[in-house]
Amino acid sequence: MSLKSERRGIHVDQSELLCKKGCGYYGNPAWQGFCSKCWREEYHKARQKQIQEDWELAERLQREEEEAYASSQSTQGAQSLTFSKFEEKKTNEKTRKVTTVKKFFTASSRAGAKKELQETKTPSPSINRQASIETDRVSKEFIEFLKTYQKPGQDIYKQCKLFLDTMNHKRDLSIEEQSECAQDFYQNVAEKLQTRWKVPPEKVEKAMDQIERYIMTRQYKYVFCPETTDDEKKDLAVQKRIRALHWVTPQMLCVPVNEEIPEVSDMVVKAITDIIEMDSKRVPREKLACITKCSKHIFNAIKITKNEPASADDFLPTLIYIVLKGNPPRLQSNIQYITRFCNPSRLMTGEDGYYFTNLCCAVAFIEKLDAQSLNLSQEDFDRYMSGQTSPKKQESESWSPDTCLGVKQMYKNLDLLSQLNERQERIVSEAKKLEKDLIDWTDGITKEVQDIVEKYPLEIKPKSQALAAIDSENVENDKLPPPLQPQVYAG
Amino acid sequence: MAAGSGAAAAAGGRSFSFKVVLLGEGCVGKTSLVLRYCENKFNDKHITTLQASFLTKKLNIGGKRVNLAIWDTAGQERFHALGPIYYRDSNGAILVYDITDEDSFQKVKNWVKELRKMLGNEICLCIVGNKIDLEKERHVSVQEAETYAESVGAKHYHTSAKQNKGIEELFLDLCKRMIETAQVDERARGNGSSQSGTARRGVQIIDDEPQVQSSGGCCSSG
Repeated sequence: MSLKSERRGIHVDQSELLCKKGCGYYGNPAWQGFCSKCWREEYHKARQKQIQEDWELAERLQREEEEAYASSQSTQGAQSLTFSKFEEKKTNEKTRKVTTVKKFFTASSRAGAKKELQETKTPSPSINRQASIETDRVSKEFIEFLKTYQKPGQDIYKQCKLFLDTMNHKRDLSIEEQSECAQDFYQNVAEKLQTRWKVPPEKVEKAMDQIERYIMTRQYKYVFCPETTDDEKKDLAVQKRIRALHWVTPQMLCVPVNEEIPEVSDMVVKAITDIIEMDSKRVPREKLACITKCSKHIFNAIKITKNEPASADDFLPTLIYIVLKGNPPRLQSNIQYITRFCNPSRLMTGEDGYYFTNLCCAVAFIEKLDAQSLNLSQEDFDRYMSGQTSPKKQESESWSPDTCLGVKQMYKNLDLLSQLNERQERIVSEAKKLEKDLIDWTDGITKEVQDIVEKYPLEIKPKSQALAAIDSENVENDKLPPPLQPQVYAG
Repeated sequence: MAAGSGAAAAAGGRSFSFKVVLLGEGCVGKTSLVLRYCENKFNDKHITTLQASFLTKKLNIGGKRVNLAIWDTAGQERFHALGPIYYRDSNGAILVYDITDEDSFQKVKNWVKELRKMLGNEICLCIVGNKIDLEKERHVSVQEAETYAESVGAKHYHTSAKQNKGIEELFLDLCKRMIETAQVDERARGNGSSQSGTARRGVQIIDDEPQVQSSGGCCSSG
């Protein structure tokens, strides 16, 4: 048992268990940390005001919807701008130039500033409210949805409002503590739905999804990649790491998809789009849905290539490849945000949770990746990492069809140049060899001649007088016997 | 994290949700095993499922509803270090080896060691010798495997995904054991019927007093 609780790793300070009003009694999380007495006082005060305000707000939102849409051309523009940037990212991705991190940052922070919403504590929220269209829309849909629940709907709405208020007061707490609050809230509401409000089990899940959507749309800007954490630093580290690994090929990861098949490469592009899109969602569950969509496309790609259902052995390498190819923005922040603020029942069990876990694995693998994990020698790995060479050059044939023509041409030319270079070197070396041969030959001949000359020195003997006398006089030549045969005298 | 097995089971009262991880080297037949169990097909061209890495199965064991989520894991050596991310919060683990491959059994032993170290005795372990249709080429002796399983508190099974042998029994047995573990866990907490939210807080307080340090330290390992 103790093991179990340790595993959960929930740690609460003694002081946090006391009533928040400081009356000395123990508080209870179900009462937002107050003791029963203080809670009743607080609750009644807040209750009347809130019920009225909330339903007023709901009605007004409905009325205001049309004008709000009309007066928000600029916001619409900004949204489509974000989307065009997203498209740009997609095309950039194809050319393997991932440079849009900053754009994503600015785009979403701008969006974040717009969704400022005055919480209901303000007496007249309509005066200086700067709610974004999306937040309003989510609120409206949430209220519409709750109407189908009749009485429990109101209670659910009150609970959510209370939670948002509590969170407002807890901005100074660490992100882990805020996450803990959210998790507690999910658990409390889920139980109340089942036990107190008697919502049928099949509707509980749907209600939980809506509740998550409502509260997290509002919380997003405070708790996504908060400044108090090093999430952003980690994001940049991963981003840089993936960029440094641009040379990794599907072959090195043993990815079982063949991108030469048009349908497969189409799936790969879709999967990359999905995983990049994750960053644009605000609700954890919607982010999860992006991961799931991405995974489904991966499965399709594998199924088309291998013609059998994908196992984890196939899936994980492919997901790693997709992440490397897509370099999704703010990967760590997104993972952290989902872990902290997603409804745990969805994250821990179920298909979405499985794909999310695989994404975590993929990121962990990329962070720790080394020569061995790609079946490369350390030297090759170091050379590729330092950018000295690229394994791509050798396999320009296996370029996916969507690769930019210019890049293809460039690699072709590089190939040609390196071939020419090789030939030139060969010619030079052969010429040198020839030169050496020639020199050697001359030297050899000279030496041979010298040897022979040494062996058979040319001796010029002085002419003997006697012979000369005989020859010169030539008196009795006819009388001499015929000359002797050379054989006889040679010995 | 928060939603462990016990919590999920306690909330529903009668129904249990279990997470089971499949571990084992590549090529030992993990995928065939689950496909046989969930789809009753082997190497079939007509397999409808798009993927075999995450499969679910609903069971009814003695009136108790069980939702089984089977998580396949990548078996390649290069992914070994990622194991803890996969098996976190799982209720059961099926460790598969190929009876014709001594190395794959060695790999199972490594997994067992790791799982016991990380998750203690809360996880139900099943060691499965697959491919018994290849009995002639057996390289791992029955005696050795069973003795080993017993020594680490795991159950040993022999299966053949090809001939559909032993698979139904394996999963049924595992579910029964997981239900038992969950119920023991529930009873140990002493408030199985009460709301798990309060139960969660209750656990914390007890845990908090004796060792503040370790509760903080352990969450990072889990």
